[in-house]
Amino acid sequence: MTDPCVGMSPRRVGGRDRVTGRQAYVADIHLDDVLHAKLVSLDCARARIITVDTSAALAVPGVRLVMTAADLPQPVPRFGPQFQDRPVLAAGETHYHGEPLAAIAAETKDAAEEATRLVRIEYEELPAVFTIAGALDPMAPLVQDPALRPGDRLARSNVLREHHYGWGDVDAASADVVVEGTYAFPMVTQFAIEPHGFIAAPDSDGIAVWSSIQHPNWLQRVIASLLHLPLAKVRIFAPDPGGGFGGKQHAKYEPLVAFMALRAGRPVRLVLTLEETFQAVRRGASEIHVRSGFRSDGGLVFRDIEANYLIGAYADIADRTVAKGSYTSNGPYRVPAVRIVARSILSHTTPSTAFRGFGNPQQIWAVESNMDEAARALGIDPLALRLQNLAHPGEAFIPGDTPADGDWARTVERAAELIGWGNPPAPGRGRGLAVGLKSGPTTGLSNSIVRLLADGSVIVYAGTSDMGQGARTIFAQIAADELGAPLDWVTVVMGDTAVVPYDQQTSASRSSVFMGNSILLACRDIQAKIRAMAARLEPVDEAAVVVERGEVRIGGRVTPIRDVLVRGLGRLGGELIGIGEMRKEAEPEHPLGGTAAFFEFNCTAVEVEVDRETGDVVVARHVTVSDVGKAMNPIQVRGQDEGAAIMGLGHTLMEHIIHDEAGRIRNLGAIDYRIPTSLDLPLRMESDFVENADGPGPYGAKGMSEGALLCVAPAVAAAVHDATGVRIRDLPLSPERVWRALHDAAESPDAGAPEAIDAR
Amino acid sequence: MRAFAYERPTTLQGAVALLAEHGSEARLLAGGTDLIIRLRDGSIAPRIVVDLKRIAELDGQIREHDGGLTIGARAVMTDIAADGRIRRDYRALAEAAAVVGSVQIRNRATLAGNICNASPAADTAPALLVYGARVIAAGPAGTRRIPIDAFFVRSGVTTLARGELVTAIELPRPTSRPGSVHLRRTRRRGHDLASVTLACAVRADGVTQLAYGSLGPRPVLVSDETGLLADPTAPELAKMRRLEALFVGASPSPRSMRASPEYRLAMLHVLGLRAVGTAIERLAQGSVPR
Amino acid sequence: MTMRQRIELTVNGRIRSVEVAPHHTLLDVLRDDLGLTGTKECCLVGECGACTVLVDDLAVDSCLMLGVEADGASVTTVEGLATGDKLHPLQEAFLETGAAQCGFCIPGQLLAAAALLANDPHPTRAAVEEGLAGNLCRCAGYEQIIEAVVVAARAGASES
Repeated sequence: MTDPCVGMSPRRVGGRDRVTGRQAYVADIHLDDVLHAKLVSLDCARARIITVDTSAALAVPGVRLVMTAADLPQPVPRFGPQFQDRPVLAAGETHYHGEPLAAIAAETKDAAEEATRLVRIEYEELPAVFTIAGALDPMAPLVQDPALRPGDRLARSNVLREHHYGWGDVDAASADVVVEGTYAFPMVTQFAIEPHGFIAAPDSDGIAVWSSIQHPNWLQRVIASLLHLPLAKVRIFAPDPGGGFGGKQHAKYEPLVAFMALRAGRPVRLVLTLEETFQAVRRGASEIHVRSGFRSDGGLVFRDIEANYLIGAYADIADRTVAKGSYTSNGPYRVPAVRIVARSILSHTTPSTAFRGFGNPQQIWAVESNMDEAARALGIDPLALRLQNLAHPGEAFIPGDTPADGDWARTVERAAELIGWGNPPAPGRGRGLAVGLKSGPTTGLSNSIVRLLADGSVIVYAGTSDMGQGARTIFAQIAADELGAPLDWVTVVMGDTAVVPYDQQTSASRSSVFMGNSILLACRDIQAKIRAMAARLEPVDEAAVVVERGEVRIGGRVTPIRDVLVRGLGRLGGELIGIGEMRKEAEPEHPLGGTAAFFEFNCTAVEVEVDRETGDVVVARHVTVSDVGKAMNPIQVRGQDEGAAIMGLGHTLMEHIIHDEAGRIRNLGAIDYRIPTSLDLPLRMESDFVENADGPGPYGAKGMSEGALLCVAPAVAAAVHDATGVRIRDLPLSPERVWRALHDAAESPDAGAPEAIDAR
Repeated sequence: MRAFAYERPTTLQGAVALLAEHGSEARLLAGGTDLIIRLRDGSIAPRIVVDLKRIAELDGQIREHDGGLTIGARAVMTDIAADGRIRRDYRALAEAAAVVGSVQIRNRATLAGNICNASPAADTAPALLVYGARVIAAGPAGTRRIPIDAFFVRSGVTTLARGELVTAIELPRPTSRPGSVHLRRTRRRGHDLASVTLACAVRADGVTQLAYGSLGPRPVLVSDETGLLADPTAPELAKMRRLEALFVGASPSPRSMRASPEYRLAMLHVLGLRAVGTAIERLAQGSVPR
Repeated sequence: MTMRQRIELTVNGRIRSVEVAPHHTLLDVLRDDLGLTGTKECCLVGECGACTVLVDDLAVDSCLMLGVEADGASVTTVEGLATGDKLHPLQEAFLETGAAQCGFCIPGQLLAAAALLANDPHPTRAAVEEGLAGNLCRCAGYEQIIEAVVVAARAGASES
């Protein structure tokens, strides 16, 4: 038998193309006869469109189409994964800085660009809301037309939804020490290195669309619905995205490009500039108030959370991030009484969408910072406080939901061990620690087809999007092991809805589990056929045949699957086809529509040095440990965890979208939106994972790749407090903001203390 | 970006004639690391771009001259940061050139271009100021030498006349090799535009020169002739007072999103004190970088 | 106003003659006129390095160079690193350490690394970090990319 693949780190499938420049991303795809598109938007946050004069733009040689809302079916079609609120092109009013109200298609990029400068728009800038306070003000303009939400009692406010979760009776709870504070998380943007790209081409009796989309089947539904086409006539090609992080999950401009292509009768290609991606996608910003009650021995008695998330002008999937992120916001702890109120608040800003962590980082920033403050107030070590209150494996720490599915204490202890928590940090350094929990998918459906070809080679069809996390590789590893093929005899086909069966989506760290299991089941399907084949060939009863991990065992004899296959197919040849499905049905009574398929859990511990004169924070040591069940490809797991950690350092230390007083984004583009470079790394980074084979995925795997981002910010802020005595509750901890906090603390020593420490 | 005509003169005279003829409708292209960004964002829209990289009389050499150095107009930051003579005798300039941006930027960005762009945050400007550099410019009226302190006017504006271009930058022979250093403030450790730039040179005769950028419309040179800053035994508090007095003209823009005025001013003082300390140490060591 | 100009440049060892518009960048020329899509477009302001190529052996951001400036120059793109189907030691090292995740930044990283090793065949870790500082990656923590360069240096990659 060949050595097992799963659990090893064979080279990335698709790696060679990535290092040779052959990997074709959407922007690299060339179609003959393509028209180049450019978007037209206004330089303001909100405006009433008075007139749009496209005549000069149309007169530019090479321009074939100038599309406005008037050229679309009326009323202008709207779409969106949660609410059908987003118009294909802005009609009547633009609602955020960068919302397109027209689009050009031309023979050359130059012509399209020139035409964008010649579209004459008469507009009236309107007052916009782009902060939580501004949006909640009773006099605030409404971001969304109340007519879009008939019967909704919140329709005459900018609160899109208000969620209530919890258990027990917080108000009746009796605590010795109460610690409360308000914590703010800024607007940040995904900044995948590949800007979004879209191509649409009329296709005999339907349409073909290429997109950097993470959810091809979802996009197929959206396009089919908007264009009134059957699904079978909408073909979505989804090349591997150059990074997604959630910002490419849901349709953005594919519908527009599709309408343009049908109108022009030719393919139309739109690739966003980096600035346009900042205007298209971001994370929800938040202000979260946490009030936690403890016994004097450190036991948690209650948690009371009120969270306001500032989402954008259209819901996209933002409200779901608020719901899902808030539902688990109490954290991986045993607490008898919890109350959570969470609101999605609309604003005239970039529509926030999914972003690694999906609403959890904002809550974890608040709750884990609060835990660190509580540890100080209680005089209890922050590590001990976590361990004391951490849910045990199997504990129903969220009533009505999946019990704790991991030995989380072990993950925490491993992180503590790696950072050397028991020994004091080097002089001048502060140390901090935090834990993070996120639920995996609550429902799900993944299908796969596996074909075992006549020579024993394999083709796997999987609708997952491989945007760098390495899905392609682990799927190949699973099939290789189950069917006994060498890894380089396995081909994985993804990203074509005409060929690849339905997968719900690529998100929530679900694919190792959902698609992995689906592929495993498809392989088992083939194994069953091999079993029947072997029994027929022998002949012997099927009950006497065992097929497992690439081998056929009859009595004491072991034969590779391939050998049985070749004999069994006989002169006609052919192949064996296996079909697999993993399905998790919705539970309508559940607040989230379903229990968590698994939890991602991470513990992050850091040591920092703070330059008190400048506010510079250097992360001297960064330890991150995740509970993964089974690391199917350890190098890829490490790559994802360390990447997530660095991304977390981005919003912790330097990233934030800056608006001007009129709601326009000031720091569009790479010069003034700072993300970590190779010079911004922790001086020493260590990542590890815990494998207890206790996940629902193949070989006991769980999902991973969001966990290591979740608790970076509170760990660093706790370390900064440890080093300086100053508590900072707003991100990012940029040098100036740290300096200011140190400065303010020096001037008024009470600044930065928790809002209330109640000792009863 | 908008289209333009592209000229590639091979003589200085040809270049000067083009610039004189077209005035503000023409832009000089050296390294392109500033120009192309502005062409793309539309903040400038010249009809003609004049590439100076084929002009026979210009080069990127760094030559010894009269005990000092002459740096050609095409000299790029990589070469300046690596040059042994600059590292030894004009260390703050080498340090500034090394942080102008990533290696990709430094391989193209020229010193001449950096000063002609006249950003108040230009990294090399403070160093050039403390070393008393001179700009050699050729134009329709001939060639002239402009002391660097008389070169900058305000953001984007220099005293170059219509038709003039920089052919070289001279660093005069140091009277005695000073201890010098370049410091800056950025938002991350990775490459970044500076919100404060500062160069300091402490001479054996007790004179301290400081120049700062990004706290006003142009980089500013100040000088302490009292010997207080250069005195290693003088108390820190006294030095801080002296620096406060020297920096009194600093006027950071309230509109910047990179750093607030209060932070910039505070950092100017922090960097000033640190720079003086380092410069004194380097003077004492006879300052030879590794 | 788009008077195209003919330029001649060597790309990956091959002489290419092409008419280009002066306002098109070297990145535009490589991708659109020469069909070499391995070099990527991202920030277009010289910050992300996704467009990094070698021009006369120096690492530059091709988005900040006009195509016409490359007349007479020798350009190396990611497509020019391998020799036939034999990968460059840096490419092998990137595969070995798992440096490529989504892969979009990788061509730029490879060229920056190649230039670094050509100048400094045995760089310190700090030198590698500085040499790659102009290449943003959003997927990785940079660790595996840095490791790959160190591994390649040990394998004598600068001699390729």
